[in-house]
Amino acid sequence: MSGIPLGESPLAGNSLGGGNPGPESAPQVVSLGRMAWRRFLRNPFAVAGLIVLLFFVIAALFARFIAPFNPARIDLLAANLPLGSGAHILGTDELGRDIFSRLLYSSQVSLLVGFSVAFVSVFIGTLIGAVSGYFGGLIDTFFMRMVDVFNSVPLLFLNILMLAIFGSSFVLLICILAFTSWMGVARLVRGTFLQLRETQYVEAAKALGTSNWRIITYHMIRNATAPIIVNATLMIGGAILSEAALSFLGLGIQPPQTSWGQMLSNAQQYMLTDPLQAVYPGLCILVVVLAVNFIGDGIQSAIDPRRKVRRPRRRLGR
Amino acid sequence: MREYFLRRLLQSLLVLFLVSLVTFALIHSAPGGPVRIYLTPGLSQEAAKVQAHNLGLDQPIPIQYVRWLGDLLQGNFGYTFKNHIPVAKILWPTVGNTLILMGVAWFLSLIIAIPWGIYNSTREYCLSDQTAAVISYLGFAMPTFWFGILLQELFSLKLNWLPLSDMYTMGQARNILNLLPHLVLPVTVLTLGFLAAYVKYSRSSMLEVLFQDYIRTARAKGMPERRVVFRHALRNALIPIITVLGLDLPILVGGAALTESVFNWPGMGRLFVEMAMAREYSVLMAITLLTAVIVILGNFLADILYAIVDPRVQLAGRGGRSV
Amino acid sequence: MKVPLLEIRDLSVGFQAEQGILKAVDRVSLKMEEGKTFCLVGESGSGKSVTSLSVMRLIDYDGGDILSGEIFFHGEDLVRKSQEEMIKLRGYKLAMIFQEPMSALNPVFTVGDQIAEAVMLHQNKGKKEACQDAIEMLRLVGIPAPEVRARQYPHELSGGMCQRVVIAMALVCKPEVLIADEPTTALDVTVQAQILDLLRQLKAELNMAILLITHDMGVAAEVADQITVMYAGVMVEEGTVEQVFSHPYHPYTLGLLKSIPGYESKRGMDLYAIPGNIPSLAQLPQGCRFHPRCVLAQEKCRLEEPVPHDLGSGHMVKCWLSESAEMSESTAEKR
Repeated sequence: MSGIPLGESPLAGNSLGGGNPGPESAPQVVSLGRMAWRRFLRNPFAVAGLIVLLFFVIAALFARFIAPFNPARIDLLAANLPLGSGAHILGTDELGRDIFSRLLYSSQVSLLVGFSVAFVSVFIGTLIGAVSGYFGGLIDTFFMRMVDVFNSVPLLFLNILMLAIFGSSFVLLICILAFTSWMGVARLVRGTFLQLRETQYVEAAKALGTSNWRIITYHMIRNATAPIIVNATLMIGGAILSEAALSFLGLGIQPPQTSWGQMLSNAQQYMLTDPLQAVYPGLCILVVVLAVNFIGDGIQSAIDPRRKVRRPRRRLGR
Repeated sequence: MREYFLRRLLQSLLVLFLVSLVTFALIHSAPGGPVRIYLTPGLSQEAAKVQAHNLGLDQPIPIQYVRWLGDLLQGNFGYTFKNHIPVAKILWPTVGNTLILMGVAWFLSLIIAIPWGIYNSTREYCLSDQTAAVISYLGFAMPTFWFGILLQELFSLKLNWLPLSDMYTMGQARNILNLLPHLVLPVTVLTLGFLAAYVKYSRSSMLEVLFQDYIRTARAKGMPERRVVFRHALRNALIPIITVLGLDLPILVGGAALTESVFNWPGMGRLFVEMAMAREYSVLMAITLLTAVIVILGNFLADILYAIVDPRVQLAGRGGRSV
Repeated sequence: MKVPLLEIRDLSVGFQAEQGILKAVDRVSLKMEEGKTFCLVGESGSGKSVTSLSVMRLIDYDGGDILSGEIFFHGEDLVRKSQEEMIKLRGYKLAMIFQEPMSALNPVFTVGDQIAEAVMLHQNKGKKEACQDAIEMLRLVGIPAPEVRARQYPHELSGGMCQRVVIAMALVCKPEVLIADEPTTALDVTVQAQILDLLRQLKAELNMAILLITHDMGVAAEVADQITVMYAGVMVEEGTVEQVFSHPYHPYTLGLLKSIPGYESKRGMDLYAIPGNIPSLAQLPQGCRFHPRCVLAQEKCRLEEPVPHDLGSGHMVKCWLSESAEMSESTAEKR
């Protein structure tokens, strides 16, 4: 996309000059994190994503104060109000529940699910990937075959199956989603570890008698941090979509709690009489997930600018 | 070559075995467990005990597993809890319906996405490329079922152009003319999802290849650009695309559950959701295993295709290079 | 003097970057005759690869633009030709081989196919005939059992073998000019010598001109007739191999020569390395581009860009110090 700043030109700096930058050419030292942050801020899509996400986070945190109505309050006298009906800004549903309030409270569910699932599955994935990559051998084979198992069953099916077996509560939903989304991180961490295991500094750390645990946590996980963060960000979006899907199917968030997916499943029944009801929750999901994905992409190109560098304009003939 | 296939085959069988093990473990952790699946409902306690004994449900768990596996291999998936109908009887018809829907959507998205991605890779940041980027972002962030509902509201309810749901119109002959209009909306929904991913993959894998040294060699030979792209670049770019297609198979099979539910399509995915609501574990197990078989088989085929396209595979094996 | 086979006149090549257009090659000129080997020498980043890609007009695909200058081949200006016209010349009259033999070959086609392809593109020959030519060419570049090798894939061959295949591919149509971009850099030392021998022998057999690009003065000394030394996009010294090797004037040339093992270095002495790094194109120093790394730099070098100075019989140097002859004597002494 034309607006995205594309990092340094491949011709600037010493990429063309070859060799390492000599001591005299070293610029003022800026920490990697700060440089990445600067690059992130120069990316309008990522910044827009961040602003939108913050907006939703604030809405979710203060839903109690912003929402004009109790989202679960049924008022049959005020049912099916259209858009812009006085205090009911977005109208009401078939039971007279205020749609705007329900949207607000739903954002709590979506964001909480998104962030917790990303957090828990990154934890599981990092642990499994680290152990596999570090120790290798049988442990590695076992976990990698487990990854294969998870990759050969549709995860949506697995989620539905587990929800059917264990019932659906909020915490359980998070656990189940996390349990079925750790594979990407595990592979990534394992890959990094396999590379690092052979490097000199890990060998040196081993020779110095550093404990395995410390080598894993201190020396190796650090090297995988950047891609893990990117992966985690993209996982937030995935988890929000999964929650919406499961709730839409009636297996996720149960009434009286409300979620965007659940609102959509409700709206589908009344789409003949009130087609607009289906628009809002879906739009919310779309915007939040889009925002999170933009942030993820922004982090990706901020951390690893070379991968996103705009390649020289190529033309065919002159 | 033969050794490679043998190794992949054994690996596939191992994974299949593990899937069955996990599935079996899940049955046993379900409240009510296997007894609920296999016993005729409404029996007295003594009669149930006798039947459990006859069915071997009082045996040690490993023996039960072996027997269960044996039953599966003979096509006996068990019975539904509610009406004691053989699972196979309700499962098989839905498999075909899902394959029709997914097959059409998948094929359509591939024949659009791959040429489009190739075109975009040769003209980065052109209008077509930007359009594809927007579609990719939308496709990755949009809930498919929501898109389905919007299409229904617009094209069925408002404009009345296409049927709202189902596979055939009731009371009419079940032929292709009846089927086609029903296919349009769900296929559109599914195609958008696939397209989003595949345009992106084919573009980026093509770009990766176009900057390789051997492409420059081909140009230095005096090869016309079109031939450079379609002969030298495409074949190399297909290698990672094949891998991705293989990895996407579960989404292909499972992703239909939502679309099928929205459009009331009588497929495997919708059956799975319905049976989950009804807590019909035997059907759920059967579908889980069946999809695993389809996916693993598909991955095996992808591996074969992979070996045909990439001559290096026979020496290196795939595992070493993908990680 | 007769008309040169290939003549580059004041060639400048630029790349679009955030800071504007960066000139990777600045007013480079050279003349090549048939049967002669011409060497472009310099560190990576000096613009020698860009120069060679410009001759092939492959630079268009890497995002480069020929800003000014002409490249005459048989009296026709290649800069003015369209890609369609270039396609007919590339691989036929003008051929090129690259640095990394392993990655220069397409992994999914057999080497025989890849050579035969070049034949079929330019000569009106069928597949069978082209394959025969490919095998013949493989034999010529010294590959044993060429019939077998032709049916193998690049990953089944060693690096040196691959480079021979690349050479065979470039030469199968008997080009008049061969551009070799660091053809031996990625190879073992022993294989390096073999490949250089092969190039020398093929040059004589096919009576072609070779433009050899290298960072290694030792390689240049072995095969070159003419040498041009480039630094940061400009030519700093040019002359015959005798002129440049026995009377190097530019401090940069001297530095390059000193970094050859065995050149003027006494036993036990450290191998010489020019201090510092080649500047990035975005931050070229004022004055002489080499002055920040030059031990002999003076005030004038910091301020004004030197002009080419002819030392007689085609030996050209671009250095303020060469203006006075005794300076060059002191150059030699000081080092």
